[in-house]
Amino acid sequence: MHPINWAIVVAYLTYVVVDGIRKSKGTDTIAGYFAANKSLSWWVVGLSVMATQLSAVTMIGTTGQGATDGLRFVQIYFGLPLAMVILGVTIVPMLHGSGVFTAYEYLEQRFDAKTRSFTAFLFLISRGMSVGTIMAAPGVVFSAVFGIPLVWAVTLIGVPTVIYTMVGGVQAVAWADVKQMVLIVVALFAIMAVLLVQMPVSPHDALTIAGSTGRLQTFDFSFSFNETYTFWSGLLGGTFLMLSYFGTDQSQVQRYLAARSVGEARSSLLMSAYWKIPLQALVLLVGVGVFVYYQFVTPPLLFNPAHEEAVVAERGAAYQALQDEYASAFTLRESAALEVASAADGGADAAMETFLARESDMQAIRGEALAMAEEVTGEASRDVNYIIPRFVLSELPIGLAGLFIAGVIAAAMSSISSELNSLATTSVIDFYRRWVRPDADDAHYLRVSRGATALWGVFACIVAVYAATLGSLIEVVNRFGSFFYGSILGVFLLAMIPRARANGAFTGLIVGMAVVGWVNFQTGVAYLWQNVIGAAVVLAVGMAVSVGDRRQPEPRS
Amino acid sequence: MTEPHDAATSTAEDTRFQKTLTRVLIVQVVALALLGALQALYNR
Repeated sequence: MHPINWAIVVAYLTYVVVDGIRKSKGTDTIAGYFAANKSLSWWVVGLSVMATQLSAVTMIGTTGQGATDGLRFVQIYFGLPLAMVILGVTIVPMLHGSGVFTAYEYLEQRFDAKTRSFTAFLFLISRGMSVGTIMAAPGVVFSAVFGIPLVWAVTLIGVPTVIYTMVGGVQAVAWADVKQMVLIVVALFAIMAVLLVQMPVSPHDALTIAGSTGRLQTFDFSFSFNETYTFWSGLLGGTFLMLSYFGTDQSQVQRYLAARSVGEARSSLLMSAYWKIPLQALVLLVGVGVFVYYQFVTPPLLFNPAHEEAVVAERGAAYQALQDEYASAFTLRESAALEVASAADGGADAAMETFLARESDMQAIRGEALAMAEEVTGEASRDVNYIIPRFVLSELPIGLAGLFIAGVIAAAMSSISSELNSLATTSVIDFYRRWVRPDADDAHYLRVSRGATALWGVFACIVAVYAATLGSLIEVVNRFGSFFYGSILGVFLLAMIPRARANGAFTGLIVGMAVVGWVNFQTGVAYLWQNVIGAAVVLAVGMAVSVGDRRQPEPRS
Repeated sequence: MTEPHDAATSTAEDTRFQKTLTRVLIVQVVALALLGALQALYNR
């Protein structure tokens, strides 16, 4: 990478750590460390919420998904605005007004200690795993860019994040998120602008080419429980996923518990309701733009440089033959793409048919190369995660590549820091303070919290090293979450029903998880629907048990 | 009992919340309409 790009990345890393430590003022009590003394404005919390959700997986995995699959992934967010509105009038006032540090702490106020501890435990497992996959995404970029082992790359990104999170608590995390969110948006707009300028055809022609391959299909109104990305799964399953994520996941709840008032907490969530779909569409459009760009500039046969190197070393001749074939196919496809762009209405269909045939030829050759890479390396290729990093480094001008890499790191850090912070908070508040040392002073809890942050950081790094081979990163993160999310949401929904009792909530949770586990392993039901199933089962079983159990006392308020 | 100033604050917050909701709705409709237009005009 060019020294100027390096300078941008190093300047960013230095700034974020130094600024994070500066923001540690006022964090010498647990109220300051875990809840910023409830002092944050709605826009700080709102940007922090958005930055937490927008991870490096979004910058690499989702843009790559846009290049290979088009815009339809955005449907997963169709339920988000609705979920934010529902949360604004239900869970947000309930949690903000109860004076808790964690969402699970509230469940003990409402139900009992075992429900609290079990949900907190589930959070620690699912988030502990997912923070590793989130860390793996920039690890992949670094590993590809610098040709260093993934473990070093993960350490490079993990250590600065752990430092500022450990020192500054939620306040440092939230303020760093604000700056990181700005950097991410600037980087996305910059790459979009460059794509528009460098594209050899007009935006209209670029859209025609993208549309001819189905990449501009946002809406799929078919109804299927087995299809992940449809309008209905996004609207219904997505609403439940977002309700669970923003309403019961400590990494998000902790952001708005730090807001000044219930009103400011609500406003912070509505910021996501405003901007999430447009922002996600922009992310996917960047990927679509890269797809069109590579119609006119020869793309690498394999985007993953490490796999390419391994294949060249072991099957040089066969790979070279494939590359020659690929180059010829590219020339034919490029002419076909230009035909599509210039065809008058009358000849458009014929030109498009030829183009699609040429595109299919290229994909077939690429398929052979991917199979070869998998045979040689013994790993799943997951080439989709390398498309954008490779494009950025080879095609973007000096300075902008550095800005985008810094943006990817920022996206990673903003998510990782919030998650480490919330993992440490849950470990300390819901387990250590609840079961081990209930009466220690704040200084003691702060020491333990900082230690917990460091330990979770190390754990996340270890998971990250293995997560990269698990599958398309975005899918992995959502799958980890979905397995537990619906059931935990069900418990919080029960908490709003006066007749619900502790035993009902706990039994419902266990049954809900078992049912989701069965659905996940034994049926082809798409993961978005599993959230709906989990929440519904917990509600139904929880209420049935509560109504049948007359011996229990009235719930504590 | 709710203090008068609390009630006033609450009403003001509710009004702001409702106004924001309307804006959220408008932004979503515009965003979805743009995506729908892209699909209708270009997707095959």
